[in-house]
Amino acid sequence: MVEAPLTNEPGEVRLKDLRAGDVPVHIVARVVSVERREYTRPADGRRRPFLAGLLSDGTASVRFTWWDPPLNEEIGRGTILRAQNVQVREYQGRPEVSFSFRTRVAPAGPADLPKVDSSDVPFRTISELRGRSEGFRLEARVVRVAPKTVTVGAEQRQVHEGILGDGTGLLAFSSWSDFHLTPNEAIRIAGAYVRTFRGRPQLVLDEASIVARIDPGRLPSIESLQPSEPQSLAKLEAAGGSEWAVVEGIVVALLPPSGLVYRCPTCQRPVAGGLCTEHGSVQGMADLRARLVLDDGRGTVTMNVGRPATESLWGVTLNEALERLRRSPDPSLLESSLAEEVVGLRLRARGRVFPDDFGLNLYPESVERVGVDVPARARELRARWEGDRGAP
Amino acid sequence: MALREPAWRTFAAELNAALQEERGTTERAATYLLSPYGARMNRVLLAGTLSSPETIGKDPSQPFWRTRLVDPTGTIPVTAGAFQPRAMAQLQAVPGPRTAMVVGKVHLYRGNDGTAYISVRAEGFRTIDEATLRGIYADALAQSLDRLDLVQKLVGDPTLADDRFDGRPAAWIRAARESALRYPTADRPGYRAALRAVLEVVEGTRAVLPPASPAAAEVRVVPAEPSIPPPRTAPSAEERAQESTFLDLLDELVDNSSDGYADLKELVQRLAEHGMSSEMAEALLDRLGEEGVVEEPIVGRLRRA
Repeated sequence: MVEAPLTNEPGEVRLKDLRAGDVPVHIVARVVSVERREYTRPADGRRRPFLAGLLSDGTASVRFTWWDPPLNEEIGRGTILRAQNVQVREYQGRPEVSFSFRTRVAPAGPADLPKVDSSDVPFRTISELRGRSEGFRLEARVVRVAPKTVTVGAEQRQVHEGILGDGTGLLAFSSWSDFHLTPNEAIRIAGAYVRTFRGRPQLVLDEASIVARIDPGRLPSIESLQPSEPQSLAKLEAAGGSEWAVVEGIVVALLPPSGLVYRCPTCQRPVAGGLCTEHGSVQGMADLRARLVLDDGRGTVTMNVGRPATESLWGVTLNEALERLRRSPDPSLLESSLAEEVVGLRLRARGRVFPDDFGLNLYPESVERVGVDVPARARELRARWEGDRGAP
Repeated sequence: MALREPAWRTFAAELNAALQEERGTTERAATYLLSPYGARMNRVLLAGTLSSPETIGKDPSQPFWRTRLVDPTGTIPVTAGAFQPRAMAQLQAVPGPRTAMVVGKVHLYRGNDGTAYISVRAEGFRTIDEATLRGIYADALAQSLDRLDLVQKLVGDPTLADDRFDGRPAAWIRAARESALRYPTADRPGYRAALRAVLEVVEGTRAVLPPASPAAAEVRVVPAEPSIPPPRTAPSAEERAQESTFLDLLDELVDNSSDGYADLKELVQRLAEHGMSSEMAEALLDRLGEEGVVEEPIVGRLRRA
């Protein structure tokens, strides 16, 4: 970084006000994520290092590229920077900043960041938070929360993941800082941002976020925030998935790979040809799975069902499947047997639903066979029939 | 996004009343059967009594089986061939009549005299008991009535906006609009009346029996406008030059990358050095992608297709 600490000069621009243009700007922001990369010039093969990542100042977050960054200084998550002579470009409709040799970068402190807590930022509801957004306040109830240990680079970190609800929708969150959240409490959040995870919005809280407990009476009850009745798969498709959905339909297909699969004993990834993509040559562990297509006549969802549910729907345990394989060594017979058993079943499942290029994928927390209350449905249909006849 | 086609809950009568087919123009596009009940079906789910299967065709290397499904509204042929091995095996496995659910794709064959023959190519079967059958009929009846209501409203007032049918799937509203347009004189009250038999099966007051042969529906059909793909103008010399610059730079970046992909942002940057704006680069990428020259299997990562 450049020698002299810079003073708070006029002309400082907040990230939410960035516009692409020729005029270089002056910003103060915190590094949210960063990655060191290299660009190889094809003409002469010269390598040029750069940092790429996300900056945030509490009003917005923008991608940045820093050409020829200092080699001996630690620029990491949480570093606060003051940068002058920054070029602003637009990529896919969003501003991006780029630091070149003309840019002067100096360290800064939390006090240099724009003050954005409290009354400065608008309140948003969950349904209004789409795509990348920042610089808002949110009032919501914690519907569920659980700690999880993840590996970031060489480091083990604890992240608290869960779901928030405010009556307009549900929102997944992951908190890199422990705010001691417990289910059912009502909170006000400032200084968090929304990113996209597997095609769904996700709220990210970190050391810079502020969480305050508020009067729980202002928000819908935790019971009403959790789905209980199945929703139409067409609606779920239109919404692009859900943090927590209940669905019901008939299994119309079993997709490969289903039945007996082999997984890496370390990372659970499927093993192909004795090789795990992460851990090389491994002895695969036998497992059962089923990829079911559930259909309600309006839409479809693919469910990735693990071993316990597969065993119970199939009526065959993993050991029995292996025994069958020893007797007739053709795994496709196992898959056919599973398909015969599950296609046509009426199931109800609940879980998280992500979109991909082929539609929706549900990761079920529970899967159960359900029947139809035929007499009740018959009464409903009769009432409708008589009502329609009376209508013009 | 190529979403999987849902299995429309329907009955033999609806399939037999459907005469309009919609073929996609692009490669591997799905074919749809448009019904006067307001369904635009590629895949269907039916239930009823399946008769004994019989094999058709003489070539033993191309086995093809056919059976008939009878429900309270009519009869529909169900087939399974070598492309549906699992369905074929399941079909052959049970020799006698049985109550079953069938999932499959609708298939329309038009004879020389223009007569349409509809059948269902099975993808999956399940032998079911009567309670399950009545459950499936309850769903299918409710959805059929919903769709008939939708078309009827649109026949009454074709200008009704989509948001007037809140809660109905967008695909249903679209299908209903087309159905109202293409089958202007269909006897929808008659179709509704014919569904009474289904209601009685759900209520348990009617046995699940084959009905008398259904009367052929009188329907006037308005033929669909043949859709012509928009003419493609041949690229100009300038566009050709841009394409070759694009591809040269792409190749350079691919050669210098460790994973065999060119980074889109880098490419756009390099193109800018050649005086090409990012909008132009994006448009070029779209065109080359459409022509199948370049592909982007990972977002932001390009290679030659």
